[in-house]
Amino acid sequence: MIPFDWVEPRSFAEAVASLDPEDPTVRPVAGGTALMLMMKAGVFTPTRLISLAQIEPHYSAITVEKNGALRIGAMATLSALEQSSAVAEHFPVITETLLTLSNVRVRNVACVGGALAHGDPHMDLPPLFAALGAKVLVRGPAGVREIDVDSLYAGYYETMLAKDELIAEVFVPALNGAKSAYMKCTSRSADDWPALGLAVRFEVEGHAHIRNPRLVVSAATEKVTRLTQAEDILKNAEADSVVLKRAGEAAAEEVTLLGDAHGSASYKRELLRVYLARAIRHALAGKSAQ
Amino acid sequence: MSQMGRSIPRLEARSKVTGRAEYVHNMRVPGMLTAKIFRSTVAHGRILSIDAEEARGMEGVYAVVTGEDVRKIIPNPYFGPAFHDQPILALDKVRYVGEAVAAVLASDPHIAEAAVQTISAEYEELEPVFDEVEATLPNSPIVHDELKPAGTFADLKHLAGRKNTNIALDYQLRRGDVDKAFAAAVHVFEHEFRTQHVLHVPLESHASLAIPGEGTLTLHTSSQTPSFVRMEIARLLGWPENRVHVKVPFLGGGYGAKVYVKVEPLAVALALIVRRPVKVALTMEEQFYTITKHPVTFRIKSGVDKDGRITARKCDVYWNGGAYADIGPRVAQKTGFTAPGPYDIDNVSIDSYEVYTNRPPAGALRGFGVPQLVWAYESHTDLIARELGLDPVEYRRKNILRDGRPHATGTIMKDAGIDAVLDRIAERMNWSVAIDRGTGRIKRGRGIGIGFKASISPTTSGAIVNVSADGSVVIFTNTIDMGQGSDTAMAQLAAEVLNIDAEKVKVVHGDTDAAPYDMGTLGSRSTFHMGNAVKLAAEDARDKLVALAAEVGLPAGTNYDVQELFRKRYGMRAGNIVGVGSYVPSYTPPDPKTGQSANVTPFWMVGGAGAEVEVDTETGHVRVTKLVNVADGGKIINPKIARTQISGGAIMQLGFTLTERMEFDGGQVTNASFADYKIPGFRDVPPMESELIAANQENGPFGAKGIGESATFGVSPAIANAIHDAVGVRLTSLPIKAEAVLRALRAAQGNPLAEDEE
Repeated sequence: MIPFDWVEPRSFAEAVASLDPEDPTVRPVAGGTALMLMMKAGVFTPTRLISLAQIEPHYSAITVEKNGALRIGAMATLSALEQSSAVAEHFPVITETLLTLSNVRVRNVACVGGALAHGDPHMDLPPLFAALGAKVLVRGPAGVREIDVDSLYAGYYETMLAKDELIAEVFVPALNGAKSAYMKCTSRSADDWPALGLAVRFEVEGHAHIRNPRLVVSAATEKVTRLTQAEDILKNAEADSVVLKRAGEAAAEEVTLLGDAHGSASYKRELLRVYLARAIRHALAGKSAQ
Repeated sequence: MSQMGRSIPRLEARSKVTGRAEYVHNMRVPGMLTAKIFRSTVAHGRILSIDAEEARGMEGVYAVVTGEDVRKIIPNPYFGPAFHDQPILALDKVRYVGEAVAAVLASDPHIAEAAVQTISAEYEELEPVFDEVEATLPNSPIVHDELKPAGTFADLKHLAGRKNTNIALDYQLRRGDVDKAFAAAVHVFEHEFRTQHVLHVPLESHASLAIPGEGTLTLHTSSQTPSFVRMEIARLLGWPENRVHVKVPFLGGGYGAKVYVKVEPLAVALALIVRRPVKVALTMEEQFYTITKHPVTFRIKSGVDKDGRITARKCDVYWNGGAYADIGPRVAQKTGFTAPGPYDIDNVSIDSYEVYTNRPPAGALRGFGVPQLVWAYESHTDLIARELGLDPVEYRRKNILRDGRPHATGTIMKDAGIDAVLDRIAERMNWSVAIDRGTGRIKRGRGIGIGFKASISPTTSGAIVNVSADGSVVIFTNTIDMGQGSDTAMAQLAAEVLNIDAEKVKVVHGDTDAAPYDMGTLGSRSTFHMGNAVKLAAEDARDKLVALAAEVGLPAGTNYDVQELFRKRYGMRAGNIVGVGSYVPSYTPPDPKTGQSANVTPFWMVGGAGAEVEVDTETGHVRVTKLVNVADGGKIINPKIARTQISGGAIMQLGFTLTERMEFDGGQVTNASFADYKIPGFRDVPPMESELIAANQENGPFGAKGIGESATFGVSPAIANAIHDAVGVRLTSLPIKAEAVLRALRAAQGNPLAEDEE
């Protein structure tokens, strides 16, 4: 490891100002769990790291609004989100997802903003937030803008964020009785990166009549990806086994799945078929949030 | 109070949780340089040039050292326990990706690391060979021009000078007449099983700190074998052994990764070249390039008579030893002779080949090769039972090797609770009651596996027990406590003899200037061998105390105060008593042609497992819902610690069964990090039961023997057998990944899963 500068700005604005969009060796660091692995592996060699640890405390706040929407400060740790009783009450799917996200040591330091900004398709929160219709509030020198999480990713480890922009906050719209689930499938140890991540959100009429489905796949794909053709099949349909099978087939056809050490592409296609139906059924069976 | 069977906490527990326990990685001495290693990027090649100019010029770099520099101070710089085949730094050739080629020395390890990145080497690439079977074929590339056995082991001497072969050892055993027995058999079964490349993953990686003195050398090292390290360093340097002082603090795990000699010669060579203390401390990732476990191809064939008795078994075992022999030839031999399994078979033929390839070296890993063999013979035995329509437990009972019967080597079995372990597994699995087979996509099944192992022999251990004038006791031993609790066990054994509390005993371990020779903390041998030596040393001390009592006029047979004894003898508080113990069990070397020996091992280790699994037929995922582990450890010294050896061994083997595999692209490991090489996490640990049967090892210290490896034996085949029971498909390669299970299921349904296009 070659020595580098470590900067600890006291404000979000100062942090943004410390970034250098022209220099790829200058990067922000929140919990550092992903960046440290890259530095250890020699994939990334920084000249300057901008620590966000000392910015204003309200960037770590987790708030459920009166209407049931959720605002998460980018510097909230995954543990804080996991242990929030308000989140457990209004978004049980988030709490459930966090319980098996990596391990407790990582969750204690990793931050929500970093988990979204890193761009590794194997992470659990990006597909979930994409399915939940969440937006990130992003601030750079030019001001503030919003980006839908489902369009935040440009490619493998690539996001739509400019090099001098930081995620300030995540906004998750209220579930309002919608059903949601995130399922991941690991093919080695339980705490491994997933071979497949699949997040769903939809509204239900009657027993299983599906409205406004949002289906998002990750880990097996280059980036977090909406399954729009599968959504079309489920839209306004009764989620019986025939429809779920058709939706699974459509999902398996519409995305390019990548083979790697977690499994071949053809195996992941099977997983996607199977897990799509399971995720819908799991969401239907799960307790619905207020 | 008897000290045997007491579950006292480990003597060192407090110092470990408070951070006071000493480890080599934490040691720093004045003037110390840290070495970082430049490694080969090709699997097989001739070194044309090494360009380290930029590294040498970097500020803060003290020196860059290559193999040629090492040769200047150590003319024959090749080391190894079985063969002198491994150069301290690569010379002339490289033989695997990751082999150490050069070392950078700097006070600041980060500077050394950065300098390594600037080094480059040119190679004339040679064709590599990676597969253990292909490497034995006539046209295979040859990894070593000539075999160079070390001479340490008499049974390897015949290999000296052999050329144009990758077979580093061809062990054979012949008993009865297998060909005749196959011809007469009613059924003949033949299968091939394979295991993958895995590694030890101690949480503390290898570290050595060499401190040169005036014609002397002190070496602090994370070794399981300080006595061997001293001998090997003295041999390399041409020094008397008493000039080399090897010290070992605690180890953060060993599992065989730290046996014999690993990074010690490099630390020593560098320290002598620069005449300063040098530390070589590997990163976790560098373990992948240091020592691994043999991948194995095992072809096994059995003949069975009309009653289901196994009458013949032929075993052909190929051990992928990688680029350097390490202790592999001994694995092929000492483990090879147990390849037919714990069965009573009259006609046996074994050929066991240790094979050089261009993979990272393989050596000893918790079981010394036995888990690879049990994987094959217990899968095979299960297949036979299924084919014959017999219950797997009953089938094993019919053929099991019982005390009083001859093993394949001719040695009569004794104190080997094979049948007892099998019975206890069956009882704990509630085997006589059918299980719920599941409905829908989840199918359930159960299976068992049982294995055994001989102790490595002949080997010796020595110990000293000192009794001070205040009555306090210190044991000096070169058995290393690496988490298995040996310090505590030795204290309990000495305390049992001296009739004191084990908690009051101090254990000094890992110091070749203070403690006598020990062959090594390996192969589950310490409780038996060092245990016997400590017991003898304690008895010697006790006898001397009794003699002292007589000398000062105390009547025989009375209780006396030890402090009073010394005061009476010396007129003040002074003096001490030194008890010495040395133990070497009897042994008969096997006939080199037939492998026959009347006394091939001082004791047998026995372990087995039973597994219940759920298989998800849509994804191939296997969930172990119950894992029963039973072992014969003789009389148990400390039940609580012993049970953690059983559960720990089983969890380790669970990783080798389901999750772990070194992935290769050619010779390059592509997952050399613990983000991508997955050992089991807590959520992977199934509901487990661990039991040590009531037993006695007649020649063991107070009836005890080793248990460190026994729980690894049965796990892999138990799970494969349970999967077969659940869904009717047989996996013959490890690890058993969900995709492999799904592929087997789909192939059996005539609807195979497509292979990816390149």
